[in-house]
Amino acid sequence: MLDLPTQAWEWVRRSYVWRSFFRHGYPDSRKNQSLAVFTNVFLHLHPVKVRRHALAIPYTWCMGGLSFFLFLVLTLTGTLLMFYYHPTTDLAYADIKDMETVVVFGQLLRNMHRWAAHGMVITVFLHMARVFYTGSYKPPREFNWVVGVLLFFLTILLSYTGYLLPWDQLAFWAVTVGYNIAAATPFIGNEVSYLLFGGFELGPNALLRFYVLHVVGLPVLAGFLMAIHFWRIRKDGGISGPL
Amino acid sequence: MPSLGPQPFPGQEKRLRLLAFVRQDAVIRVDKRVEDTAMVWPHLLLIEFIVAMLWLVGLFIISALFNAPLQDVSSPDHTPNPSKAPWYLLNLQELLLHMDKALAGVIVPTILLFVFLPLIPYIDRSREGVGRYFTDKTGLRIFQFSAVYSTVLTFALIFIDYLAKKAGYIEWSSDHLPGGKQLFPNWLIPIGVMFGLSALLVFLVDRLFGATTRGKMIALFTGFVFVYVVLTFVGTSMRGPGMDLYAPWSLPPTIQ
Repeated sequence: MLDLPTQAWEWVRRSYVWRSFFRHGYPDSRKNQSLAVFTNVFLHLHPVKVRRHALAIPYTWCMGGLSFFLFLVLTLTGTLLMFYYHPTTDLAYADIKDMETVVVFGQLLRNMHRWAAHGMVITVFLHMARVFYTGSYKPPREFNWVVGVLLFFLTILLSYTGYLLPWDQLAFWAVTVGYNIAAATPFIGNEVSYLLFGGFELGPNALLRFYVLHVVGLPVLAGFLMAIHFWRIRKDGGISGPL
Repeated sequence: MPSLGPQPFPGQEKRLRLLAFVRQDAVIRVDKRVEDTAMVWPHLLLIEFIVAMLWLVGLFIISALFNAPLQDVSSPDHTPNPSKAPWYLLNLQELLLHMDKALAGVIVPTILLFVFLPLIPYIDRSREGVGRYFTDKTGLRIFQFSAVYSTVLTFALIFIDYLAKKAGYIEWSSDHLPGGKQLFPNWLIPIGVMFGLSALLVFLVDRLFGATTRGKMIALFTGFVFVYVVLTFVGTSMRGPGMDLYAPWSLPPTIQ
């Protein structure tokens, strides 16, 4: 009787259906551990083996991985928030209020999105500092450093475009500071502010533009650059280490 | 007797076929040594999983304890004093107080993000010190020196600007300087200070530590990081109503 669950589990694992999902046995041998990584679309971001050096937490502090993790958390919480939010000046603020008082777990969802966004700005910055101070931008990783700088810029833009969406005093006046800076661009100040804010004051057009950039434009661009970033880590010989 | 797992499944072996032999020297070997490696499953995946879970739990706790700020509905006629950007842009907002808007808000960040940072690997092309924090002891000393240098000077410059403006320097400059209160106070002096102090830093680490290109890059990047942090700190905790300078412990609340 006691080994019935074991037998059932064994039967499932040996079934035709299971083996069509997973083309390897339990990863307790080198071969199955390798297969587990490179036959899985999510895990195969990794190589099968890494240099032992790369596992040391005081080397990377996991900052790059955590930036990606926070990006995933933000994508998930952000998508859920989108169900309750209208990007119009008459509804946006009321939607956020509803989120806090009416929607089940709405406050928690909004808090997680907010704090993860602040967290991501910090982890991306720390990741950049780690990469710099360990000399990880050096050949052959020059181009990946450039991609990383662009990702840092996108992180700031993502955070900043999201800042306007609650449409409260904090959001409005913080983004007004940015508006004034954009308008001060030499020679093309008017064009830049019109492009970003859809007008010469912070109104419905600005809210809509920031919303579209925040939920579609910038995340897609960031995802595109992240694909290149991660791919290039592999192609440039994995995580950096002493020569 | 090992009963589970290790045995290959029926037909499994066929999936691993030898496609070709590649001569060792025909492959580009990028600093990868076979002997000193660990399997990703389980070693790396375990670390990643634990760290991700710790952060998720941490995020849950923070989100349960602290609510995201939400003020009154926006009204364009009702300006809070001071109006501040999000904290990670307060460094730029702080810079705005010391030079022309276009210089502080557009030109300096554009040069930093799209010229200085991307150019680092194309200027420092040696492979010296890859994988070691600060390269070596000299690099660490350059880092420490540059951190102190830029922190002290940034605070000093903010304070000097504060004192000069208090002494009526703006009015004096509009009467006595060519270009009035624009050309010298808002453009030439800030540009001169930014370039001059960066050049002085490179010169000093060269003289004091015999810095290589990598060492000079450590100095400049550390300068960037610490100026960024100091400006963010001053912008966040030392600017009160009217963007006047206050001590962090006696910062008055925003006038809504």
